[in-house]
Amino acid sequence: MATSTSTSLPQVEPDSRMVNALSVVPGLVLLAGIGYAAKVLERSVNGYAKAHHWTFPNIEYVLWAILIGLVISNTLAIPKLFQAGIATYEFWLKLGIVLLGARFVLADVLKLGGISLALVVVEITLSLALMTFLGRLFKLKPKLISLLAIGSAVCGVSAIIAAKGAIDADDEDSSFAIAAILALGALALFTFPAIAHSLHMNDVSYGLWAGLGVDNTAEATAAGALYSDAAGKVAVLAKTARNAMIGFVVLGYAIYWSRQGQAEKVTNKAAFLWKKFPKFILGFLLMSLLVGFHAFSKGQVSTLGNLSKWAFLLTFAGVGLRTNFRDMSKQGLRPFIVGALGEILIACLTLGLVVGANRIWGL
Amino acid sequence: MSSEQNSTSSSKRNLLSLDTWAVIVALLLALAVRFDILKNVPW
Repeated sequence: MATSTSTSLPQVEPDSRMVNALSVVPGLVLLAGIGYAAKVLERSVNGYAKAHHWTFPNIEYVLWAILIGLVISNTLAIPKLFQAGIATYEFWLKLGIVLLGARFVLADVLKLGGISLALVVVEITLSLALMTFLGRLFKLKPKLISLLAIGSAVCGVSAIIAAKGAIDADDEDSSFAIAAILALGALALFTFPAIAHSLHMNDVSYGLWAGLGVDNTAEATAAGALYSDAAGKVAVLAKTARNAMIGFVVLGYAIYWSRQGQAEKVTNKAAFLWKKFPKFILGFLLMSLLVGFHAFSKGQVSTLGNLSKWAFLLTFAGVGLRTNFRDMSKQGLRPFIVGALGEILIACLTLGLVVGANRIWGL
Repeated sequence: MSSEQNSTSSSKRNLLSLDTWAVIVALLLALAVRFDILKNVPW
């Protein structure tokens, strides 16, 4: 997920605006094509297996979309023509999250969001400490350690991009950290649901775990949806609570590095926090509030939920398409090892947190 | 174009973030659904 601070839809002169708008069409068609193929495959493969009495795992559209994207990005060279449209998957992710707010009763948002926030504070503290320790142990560069710690504690790529400018990190460190976080996010897509199935986790517990343990918002959303629709909803909520903390964590690091004389001083902390705050969270809460005040009928809520699913379908296709293992392997092994060790430990810690929360609050 | 104009157009260019666009489009879709312009979207 990119940040509000780093990514913006460009407002350009009228003639070039048309060219820009058209440039996203090929990639967008590719995302939609993969998404539609995933839905067709889900229906037809499962239907065929059922008709022939095969014992075949029920593969959902989420996994098909990611797999098709992965196969394309890792076997074919995707022409540049498609890149602008593929990059729109971040927009569809955020649109999907805002619309998903309609499927949450405000009381659930407050209850689950409150539990998530409490767990997020513990998770962030543990993750920052753990990644800093591992980074120092493996003698990584100090700013790379900061970026890896922020990326694994808060919200993956967006946190790294937000922190890059704030702590004045160089491009190479950011690329290392982003590659490690993305590669580990891709692995989490397959490992998290498998572990949860073997532990017979319920939807809420698993959703919380995916939201707390998977770093990137797109991957956390997909990892949740791979388990079940309900788990996907909870994963988005938990991940959103985690994203809300991005400003505080980045501010802390910015102050630390400015005191070291290696980054600019933060003069207005409130403005800094607002600039880094992911605004789509406000849209998500507003949508939930509107449904709480009965602004929509039951059928209309269902329509908004379906629109959210379509937006996520494009996101999942994009997750597969932008994951290129060859490019990631070029970034070096040490940051990846630190990231992998950290992520495994964080996954275990967050699993413990969720199991503990389940005992206390009965999720 | 003067540097002042450049900085003005640059700040205008970054007025709306991706997040804000997502919220705006979502609210427009919600309005379209609320007033039955968009209904029964299948899944």
